Amino acid sequence: MTRTRTHRALLVLLAAIAAVALVAAGCSSDDDGSSSDTSEATSETTAADDATASGELVGTFGIDPGAFEGAEATGSYFRMVQSGGTVADGPFVPNADSTASDQTYTLLEAGTDGGLVAGSFQPGPDPLFDADGNALADAIIAPVTFFGVDFSILTAETDAEGGGSVEAVSITDEDGTLSGQTTAVTAAYGGSEFNQGAPKPDGSTPGETTAVTGTYDPETGAYTLDWASQIVGGSFDGFTGVWHLEGTFTAA
Amino acid sequence: MSGPAGPERRVRRWPLVVILVVGLGLAAAPAAFSMFDRAPKGGTMIEEFRPFMNEATIADFRGYLAEIGAARDETADELQPALGTPEEFAAEYPQAATFVDEWGAIDTDMSDMLDTIDANRDEFDGVSSLPPFALFPWFFVIPGLLLAVLAGLSLWRVRRGRRPLTVALVVLGVGLLLAPAVFQMFTRAPGGGRMIDDFESLMTRDRVTQIQGYFITIGSGEGQLRTAVVPAVVEQDGGSAADHPATAQLSDDWPQLLSEMSDMVGAMADNLDNYAAVAALPPFPLFPWFFVLPGLVVVTAALVARPRSEITVPEEEP
Repeated sequence: MTRTRTHRALLVLLAAIAAVALVAAGCSSDDDGSSSDTSEATSETTAADDATASGELVGTFGIDPGAFEGAEATGSYFRMVQSGGTVADGPFVPNADSTASDQTYTLLEAGTDGGLVAGSFQPGPDPLFDADGNALADAIIAPVTFFGVDFSILTAETDAEGGGSVEAVSITDEDGTLSGQTTAVTAAYGGSEFNQGAPKPDGSTPGETTAVTGTYDPETGAYTLDWASQIVGGSFDGFTGVWHLEGTFTAA
Repeated sequence: MSGPAGPERRVRRWPLVVILVVGLGLAAAPAAFSMFDRAPKGGTMIEEFRPFMNEATIADFRGYLAEIGAARDETADELQPALGTPEEFAAEYPQAATFVDEWGAIDTDMSDMLDTIDANRDEFDGVSSLPPFALFPWFFVIPGLLLAVLAGLSLWRVRRGRRPLTVALVVLGVGLLLAPAVFQMFTRAPGGGRMIDDFESLMTRDRVTQIQGYFITIGSGEGQLRTAVVPAVVEQDGGSAADHPATAQLSDDWPQLLSEMSDMVGAMADNLDNYAAVAALPPFPLFPWFFVLPGLVVVTAALVARPRSEITVPEEEP
């Protein structure tokens, strides 16, 4: 009788341990995803798998290539507002190297990571530039020519301008509406780095800087992300980068 | 000098009070003129402008302007006529046409800017040879406090029938008198003042925005020449881009040109506040006199405060 009770107790205990282990495994899967480097990501789930609820989206915002057809840009692109202009009305800097018929749009293509990763950093290589000042960072987007020189973007733990630490990109979904921060996004161009996040590392939104907004369809993973970031200091002081990313989100 | 007064000496106290006031005034001057905040900004500006304030860099920049001008002339004289009337060219290649049209004014303005920078190289060298700007406030505070302490001590001693610290006060006063000469302030400070005045037209937000706009005009023009105009001419007339050497040269050098010249624009943009801080300091030519005049006052007052004569009061016999 005593042995039977003991066996039952053991079975209950084992079942409890197994349940706890399963729950812990589920939790640790999320934790790993939020902190791992993208190159180490091995078990990705699709957006549809992760489509059950609102919350922080940790994973890769895949970048659909930009295109310009008719009078409309699709996919992912970048524009630059001239100093003194506005995001709404420009004037925008024409980039003769753009393949868009409206050359104020610089069309983007995905980099080797497939897009912008939320939850971890995508730092640039060392060196960050070639001898002509062309940016070599190619994880988020493929370097794209702007005014005869390639630029790119990266996200790093340290703000290249102010030197302080910044948080990794974080995006939150709330009923299909995205918000969050892209503070760590940094543009590399012509041998210099310019913060292109929103808000800025000090939390401010100077000039034409706008908050991150976007849309998200949890069924398909389709998303859009928009923000603008005014450059503070340096040769492009007062210019504003306008970013539009769209594509498919893949949870880590 | 510092021993007890034997025979009674007549010592004027008011000169020592004057020295005390001068010392306190000197010590307080940096706070009154916000030097602790402004002077380091001047130092930062000096360091950030240093790479551009030399003959070689200015010559390089003049060379870049000549190179851009040659490409503009080649476009106006050869490329544009090959592709139609000026109106047709402007309609098809608006950035290149704008570059052609506006280059003359841009060249004049940028050349004037380089002339201004070039004309102030000696002044810049003079100012940058001064002691570090961040130390400037302490050149007032330290001697000022020393003077105040010595004057106060002298007053205390005089009240007790002892001699004032005349030698120490005179040495400090002479030090103040000589400091401007030692640091060549009489030549360097007015030069710095002229540089500040000359840069006034360059160091404004509007001016920086205007120069940034020049680079938009030049850069978008160069881009359209490289990606559209020259290929169109080559397609129409044959040959290659190398047949248009000035334009080809500009396109080859553009990344370096853009990098170097935009660095200068960046330095201007980054130092607008620093310039404003320096410009808000008292006029540079006055700086030597901020030492000379107090020095003269201190030396004179210290000498006046010397025991003038002994009075025939016999010492008491023990």
